[in-house]
Amino acid sequence: MDRLYQLLQNRIEGVVSTPDEFHPGLLTNFGNLYHGTPRFVVAPATARDVAATVAFAREHGLPVSVRGSAHSQSRLAISEGGILLAMSSMRRILSTDDSGGPTVDVEGGVLWRDLVRHLAPGQLVPPVLTNNLSVTVGGTLAIAGIGLSSFKYGTQGDNVRELDVVTGTGEKVTCDPKRNADLFWGTLAGLGQTGIITRARLDLRKSKPMTRTYYLLYGDLRRFLDDAKLAMDQDRWDHIESWASPCPQGTKPVAGRRQVFARWFYPFHLTVEFHPDHPPNDAEMLRGLKPTELLYTDDVPTVDFLERMIPVFDLWKQGGTWKHVHAWVETVLPWERAADCIESVLPDLPPSILVGGHVLLWAAKGKSSKSRFFMRPPGEDLVGFGVLPAIPPRFWEQARPMLDNLGRLTELMGGKRYLSGYIDWSEDRWRAHFGDQWEPFCALKRKYDPDSILNPGFVPFPAPRSAGKAKHPAGAPAGD
Amino acid sequence: MPLEFGTSEWARSLEGAVNASSEYRNAAAAWGVGFNGNILFAFDAGGPLERSAHLLLKLEGGRCLGAGFVPGPSHPDAGFTLRAPFPLWREVLTGKTLAATAILTGRMRVEGNTIALLKHAGAHRSLIHCVASLDTHFPGA
Repeated sequence: MDRLYQLLQNRIEGVVSTPDEFHPGLLTNFGNLYHGTPRFVVAPATARDVAATVAFAREHGLPVSVRGSAHSQSRLAISEGGILLAMSSMRRILSTDDSGGPTVDVEGGVLWRDLVRHLAPGQLVPPVLTNNLSVTVGGTLAIAGIGLSSFKYGTQGDNVRELDVVTGTGEKVTCDPKRNADLFWGTLAGLGQTGIITRARLDLRKSKPMTRTYYLLYGDLRRFLDDAKLAMDQDRWDHIESWASPCPQGTKPVAGRRQVFARWFYPFHLTVEFHPDHPPNDAEMLRGLKPTELLYTDDVPTVDFLERMIPVFDLWKQGGTWKHVHAWVETVLPWERAADCIESVLPDLPPSILVGGHVLLWAAKGKSSKSRFFMRPPGEDLVGFGVLPAIPPRFWEQARPMLDNLGRLTELMGGKRYLSGYIDWSEDRWRAHFGDQWEPFCALKRKYDPDSILNPGFVPFPAPRSAGKAKHPAGAPAGD
Repeated sequence: MPLEFGTSEWARSLEGAVNASSEYRNAAAAWGVGFNGNILFAFDAGGPLERSAHLLLKLEGGRCLGAGFVPGPSHPDAGFTLRAPFPLWREVLTGKTLAATAILTGRMRVEGNTIALLKHAGAHRSLIHCVASLDTHFPGA
């Protein structure tokens, strides 16, 4: 038995487990690219457990990695030789409050899916929801959290009133935009580097009971983008969603080797919420838009709309692609370069790479977010471009140069990467990503995680000036 | 019979290969249309290449309108220059390194508008493939 096991277990109410008890799923994340075996997995019962675990880790020089649903694809939510804090044990929805605008308090391990279901009877919804609802509140807030209504409401982090955060010193700190504001803004989209979110007070909004979605199709990227911009500015839509969708045409030579190629189309789904006794006027809603075709109009209860991707993900799971390598390259591009960038990528993207994946396009408004560390290009109109493949592991090394180049290309085009995806950067690229926010980010790391024990191995921070007990390199096994 | 790299015969043969390639014709249909698409390949001395070599390709609309070695290191007719040490060119031409990787990592330098060049990545990959496909005797081979 590990000699620290009992000491740690004695400190907390929750459950500590050792490698002989780990489920193999805990050894990697959704990316299936990086693997690690933690020394302990801790399922905390309370925020006090989280604080006690961090304090224990600091005393013993152990790194702490935080895991929600582990939808990250790089060196997050896994641990090699440290403590993996499995926040899914903290999934209580605590309370709702209607004074001063509706809010809900939740623990960090709550799934958005559970929250949506919990709130549905009162017709309340979080303003922004990610496509995949089976991820945790703490997890997406630590990355940013983008969804179909981000063009109106920003990131999920922009809709947080207050946080409880356990910092790298093991202290639980309550913060909001006025109180401990640096920790608040440093934790939202802070990649888990300043602290662990144990509680969040989230803004809510009233929804209407039904949604109507117009399924538009475009054959021309630039015309689609024109309409996407128009739709964002029309102030009549509640959710907008779009993709690039391949229609295979045969094979063509690419550097002499024949490869399937596709004609790309651009589905654009525009959704408005409504009361059944006041359905939207279709002609009025679609006025000014110029799709190639209106394919379908769908009326569903709002909660069903919010959960629309669950059957898709279930299908991917049944098909086995959920277990593949996910090396998603998602970038927020400046509007003026977006079409050029997308048009240079799609012609050579083999449609087969998208079995169990897709290519996302999303129009966005830069000023809809106040987030300090969710980096995006300057300018009001932005375009998200995400190539989200599921790659059989044996093809990873073959696909990797293409995805590496895709990432570099989008960055060269002025884009900023979304950091839950496949990130394998040198320090130079991290610095370039954060730009003038890099030094403030490092300063917050030093302040709130002085021994650099939280979520090591992802962001290459400069080594702490006084390393204290945690002298091990980030992500490496600790010795104690 | 391999052609000697750096000769006018090799350059003429490359011009013919480019114009015979339907892959290039399709991939580069928009390249050089409305802008100067001529590319100077600068093979900087290194490894077995003792003296730098500079290949000017006149390219427009999926066609090669002329190819020839010129004195370097630059040329007034070139809209773009791709510059790298010869050993890196060999890696690219033998498929060990993608040209896009070499450019995006800065190992191959672009003189000209990099973004304009990368917008037509398929055209350049096809062009490189034409060069790589020529039966060539390279220095040191």
